[in-house]
Amino acid sequence: MADASIEFKGTSFTLSVIHLKTSVLADIRADLVKKVAQAPDFFYLVPVVVNIEKIALDLDYQAIKTLLTEFNFTFVGFTGSISKEQRNLVRELGFSFVNTAKAKVVEKTATAAPATVEQPPEEQVENTVTPVASQLYTDKIHRGQIRSGQQVYAKEQNLVIIGSVSAGAEVIADGNIHVYGALRGRAIAGAKGHHKAQIYCQSLEAELVSINGNYWLSESMEKDWGSPAYIQLTDSELTSSKLI
Amino acid sequence: MARIIVVTSGKGGVGKTTSSAAIGLGLALKGHKVVLIDFDIGLRNLDLIMGCERRVVYDFVNVINGEATLNQALIKDKRVSSLSILPASQTRDKDALNKENVGKVLEELGKTYDYIICDSPAGIEAGAMMALYYADEAIVTTNPEVSSVRDSDRILGMLASRSRRAEQGLEPIKEHLLLTRYSPKRVEEGEMLSVEDVKDILSIPLLGVIPESQAVLKASNAGEPVILDTESDAGKAYQDVVDRLLGETVEFRFLTAEKKGIFSRMFGG
Repeated sequence: MADASIEFKGTSFTLSVIHLKTSVLADIRADLVKKVAQAPDFFYLVPVVVNIEKIALDLDYQAIKTLLTEFNFTFVGFTGSISKEQRNLVRELGFSFVNTAKAKVVEKTATAAPATVEQPPEEQVENTVTPVASQLYTDKIHRGQIRSGQQVYAKEQNLVIIGSVSAGAEVIADGNIHVYGALRGRAIAGAKGHHKAQIYCQSLEAELVSINGNYWLSESMEKDWGSPAYIQLTDSELTSSKLI
Repeated sequence: MARIIVVTSGKGGVGKTTSSAAIGLGLALKGHKVVLIDFDIGLRNLDLIMGCERRVVYDFVNVINGEATLNQALIKDKRVSSLSILPASQTRDKDALNKENVGKVLEELGKTYDYIICDSPAGIEAGAMMALYYADEAIVTTNPEVSSVRDSDRILGMLASRSRRAEQGLEPIKEHLLLTRYSPKRVEEGEMLSVEDVKDILSIPLLGVIPESQAVLKASNAGEPVILDTESDAGKAYQDVVDRLLGETVEFRFLTAEKKGIFSRMFGG
């Protein structure tokens, strides 16, 4: 197979989102004038997504795009928790609908108009600061068993347990969790929102594992139960893999 | 200074009092000066198991409150002169106990005795916490059964964090695992947790395995600690426990089911 000349990949970008509170163009124009005047260079050619949650179906979508382009924004598309009907309308008019991290992936309509741009996979719009990578954390090391009823929390650190974690015990870390022993209790990693945090143990027998709020109970761990394993979060789905 | 040993478990009914009595008596029979203290205020039973329930005049709470001296409350065992029992109160509240006054009693006892064995009540509340607070060693009594193992694990956590030694950053309490009511036949059939299973979960050194035995009930009812029943497996196993506590290396017995030969099956026994 010949090497592909292009590759489609999913990446997160931080994009500015303009939340529309009205569909009255004159008002929008007035506000834009004020805003851009504050820092014209800052807004020059900035990619923007327009959130139309608060606006009814009969918005003049083309006019919005024209208006924003007039002010030298790079118009990307529309976003927001809107009805399927409105989403389809946006598409039919030839505009991109951009999913937020929280929204469900829009089904790709097979009969999309040729003018519509193919939706790139999982392009997410975030208006938040990306969390600090967990590689920057130091390790909190605990020697000894974590007994039933005990709780250890590694705040802004990774957690290393040299020993086993008994059933009924909880180990929590903002970073990764490593258990040099059997993990029989609960392990909660990425507690402050790191989706890249991982959990490693020498024997997976946990009651519950969680990474950034996504959790599994024992029944989901059957594949690698009792083996040395690690758990990670891929696209909001937990996966387990054997260590050896 | 005496060695303070707490016999605890978390779970109730696993054999703490039976073991305290047997081990205490065993140590005394080897010539050591031993005092047994019943920390189960309100639900006392150490005196019953020791067979001295009719000789209780004053109790632990009387001593704490200054209503009696230690000498008045201590009951000397009729079988071994170096063994005494400090019974619990049956009518009083365990709120009478606090760290200071318990500490004072233990200090005074420490002057005359080699071993102070504290028979803990079940649970993880004030009574159990008081019994383990001053301990130097702990005998964690566990049945080979899931809830007992879980509760023993809990109490091990407490021994490591809520004892005087933990609070003052001293050398940690020496923990021992005592597995009681063990049935090798049921283990072989896969019904019961094995010694290895329990050791794997609790990860503390094994002190002894006491087999399930009808002799224990007989002993309780007679007020004669089971270690005196030298014919029974339980009695022999407790003897091994005492030897191990005193530093001897003793092989573990009663771990495999007895295979009855054709003659014993024909002729009974």
